[in-house]
Amino acid sequence: MAKKILIIEDEEIMMNLLEKKLKGAGYDITTAKNGQEGLDILQTKIFDLILSDIIMPRMGGLELMEKISRDTRLKNIPIIVVSNSGQPVEIDQAKKFGAKDWLVKTEFDPQEVIFKVKRILGE
Amino acid sequence: MEEEKDLTSNEDPKEKNLHQETEGELRHARSALLNILDDTEAARKVAVEERNKTLAIIQNFSDAILVFNENNILELINPLAEEYLGEKKENLIGKKAEDLLASPKTKLFMEFLEVSKGSPIKQVFRKEFMARPDFYLEITSLMLIMDSKMKGTLLVLHDITREKNIEKMKTEFVSISAHQLRTPLSAIKWTLRMILDEDVGGITPEQREVLQKSYASNERMINLVNDLLNVTRIEEGRFLYKLEAAQLEDLAQTSIDNLQEEIKRKGASVVLVKENFPLPSVKIDKEKMKLVLDNLITNALKYNKNKSGKVEVFMEDNEGKEIRVQVKDNGLGIPQKQQSRIFTKFFRGENVVRLEVDGSGLGLYTTKNIIEAHGGKIWFESEEGKGTSFYFTVPIKKE
Repeated sequence: MAKKILIIEDEEIMMNLLEKKLKGAGYDITTAKNGQEGLDILQTKIFDLILSDIIMPRMGGLELMEKISRDTRLKNIPIIVVSNSGQPVEIDQAKKFGAKDWLVKTEFDPQEVIFKVKRILGE
Repeated sequence: MEEEKDLTSNEDPKEKNLHQETEGELRHARSALLNILDDTEAARKVAVEERNKTLAIIQNFSDAILVFNENNILELINPLAEEYLGEKKENLIGKKAEDLLASPKTKLFMEFLEVSKGSPIKQVFRKEFMARPDFYLEITSLMLIMDSKMKGTLLVLHDITREKNIEKMKTEFVSISAHQLRTPLSAIKWTLRMILDEDVGGITPEQREVLQKSYASNERMINLVNDLLNVTRIEEGRFLYKLEAAQLEDLAQTSIDNLQEEIKRKGASVVLVKENFPLPSVKIDKEKMKLVLDNLITNALKYNKNKSGKVEVFMEDNEGKEIRVQVKDNGLGIPQKQQSRIFTKFFRGENVVRLEVDGSGLGLYTTKNIIEAHGGKIWFESEEGKGTSFYFTVPIKKE
């Protein structure tokens, strides 16, 4: 059965590209436009991995990760941050909340995201 | 009177003449003396007037002024200095510089001057510091020399809050713009990559060529924006350093490995020359130090039109105190007259610009800031047409 990935991203084009690339690699994809929407979806469905942006309306990625880290049902889902930002202080905070990796969008391309996803899922 | 008259009348004419001559000389001397006294009084008045004028200038000057004598005792202070120091003149005049350094109110102003008992106040030029929240001053201290003798120190405090605020606004503007630019640039990068990878359907060789050129242009733009972001972070004081133990030669090797494609394309050679023994590890921000090595090695490779371009990276342990790195090339070199500007923002050598080589002129500015933030030094030797050697040091800090 295909592994389930939740993409949380407010930039429509980035969301579409990631979704297309990951679907092409055989994953079951669900999308959310901000942290709050992502959190709502996480209450109803189980995921193997979360890909999340940081700067988003309503609820940002760091706030979302903090909430996930305090939820015993969700805290073990691996999270990869995919962001335009890359400040060490933000990265450290994300790691503290359990993020497995941090990818700066301008430094990586979608294929490299797939490699990271596969590695974290042990594939 | 009678007697005097008689005496006078009986006087020898020769003696009489002598007497008259002496009297004349005395009158003349008296008149000369009076003239001298008049002149002295006039000169004194001029001097007092000049002194008052000088004092008025000092009192009303737009910078804060403090004057210390040769024994580092404060002799003069203007009202603006009283305001900046938050202390009345009466409580400051006659105090020694080291006493001012020991006082919590005036400590901040004296810290740069490295005052200690018996030694002269250190000369500093335009050192900036925050005197209180949102209030920035620039401090300059100058030795007062008269007749080749040190007579004291003049301290000038200049308010640079307005300049700082403008600089901050400019930095924030660039930072926000650069962040906003990154969003579309990453979208373009990912879109082009997926088209090139044929994730959205097949493309012709001709389309591939055009798209590859667009991808390369976009990458250049991303690098420029990243350079701008690094600069704004340095200027905002947000260029964070996460120090961890690392081997500099490993980082240099990674930089060289990442450049293999470029090295092959140019037919150049880049060699890392190590010592026989492994170098001690240093506490560095690996990401930032990698940027330093990337910048220096890339520059050495890029600004080289030599058919047998050669870049050598030497690393050595300098007596256990620091690691000394040299990046040597046989490239274009830096024109002598432009060498003093090499580490300034947006600087690009005129010989380099002529050849239309890409570059933002921000790399060496960033590099210098990174090295200095690590407590190291950076310098270079260069001869136009022959090549350049950049040197930098990273201190070895023992736990």
